[in-house]
Amino acid sequence: MEREPQPPGEVARIAPETDSALVARTLAGDRAAFGVLVERYAASVRRVARAVLGDPDDADDAAQDGILAALVKLRHYDPGRPFGPWLMRVVANAATDRRRRRRVRHTEQLDPGLVAGGTTPDVETDRRALGRRLREALAQLPERRRLAVVLFDVEGYSHAEIGRTLGLPEGTVRSEVFHARRALRAMLEDWKEEA
Amino acid sequence: MTRDTTPFDHRPDPVLGSALREALAADNDAAFVARVLAQAGRPAEAHWDVLAAWARAGIAAAAVAALIAGILVGRGMSAASSTPTASVDELLAAAAGPSGALVTSPQPPDASVLLVSAEER
Repeated sequence: MEREPQPPGEVARIAPETDSALVARTLAGDRAAFGVLVERYAASVRRVARAVLGDPDDADDAAQDGILAALVKLRHYDPGRPFGPWLMRVVANAATDRRRRRRVRHTEQLDPGLVAGGTTPDVETDRRALGRRLREALAQLPERRRLAVVLFDVEGYSHAEIGRTLGLPEGTVRSEVFHARRALRAMLEDWKEEA
Repeated sequence: MTRDTTPFDHRPDPVLGSALREALAADNDAAFVARVLAQAGRPAEAHWDVLAAWARAGIAAAAVAALIAGILVGRGMSAASSTPTASVDELLAAAAGPSGALVTSPQPPDASVLLVSAEER
């Protein structure tokens, strides 16, 4: 999926070029072109990484790792295919790797808050509360289901593109999106009733 | 989220999509972009098949600059050398004293002359 440029920032003002043109310029040594690509996809890769990891700081670290990994692998990118799904795959892999490392770390170390049995006062707005509930609901989904629904309903990729991104058959992606939606809807209905 | 979807529904759900987008949004994309670009520019990092290309572009630019500078210097020198100057032979012929004669003579010098010449100094 060739993306339209995001709202322009300092870097994106250079030119509304296609992703493949920007990739070609990056490979030719144009740092500004790489900057435009990073700016264009920053919000998406951060969301995708957060869908995998939950924690926003971890997600940003993973998103950065993914972007830099994509830069290293840029010569292997096939310009005949859309850049977005390719980048999302690299970022999702980076996030998954980080989650695995984090899981190992967490088995070694208990959360001090849990040990103390403490809770934090809930001073968030409804909007924030909804966001938190959604993130919690997402976290309960299997990872590929989570990624499938985020890539489909948030990032707007097609089932086929998501299939290539996640290495799944298109029919499996459809099924994952469906099941994810059903679970998230149920959560949202509960939340509405509570509200 | 208002319509009933099936596994075969290819349409994104705008309501759910919007709620998820908001739930997953992170603050300050500009700071994130700056951080990534700063990290990408670090020479110690090994990102760089591509950085090598960036370096090649820099080297190529430096080479072009050096070439232009060379051409300009060359032009300056050729302009300076076009003014008439005395040849080496003329300068030597004009030199006075025995050392000048020694240098301009086609015959090898006598050893005693060389010694005398050295003693004169």
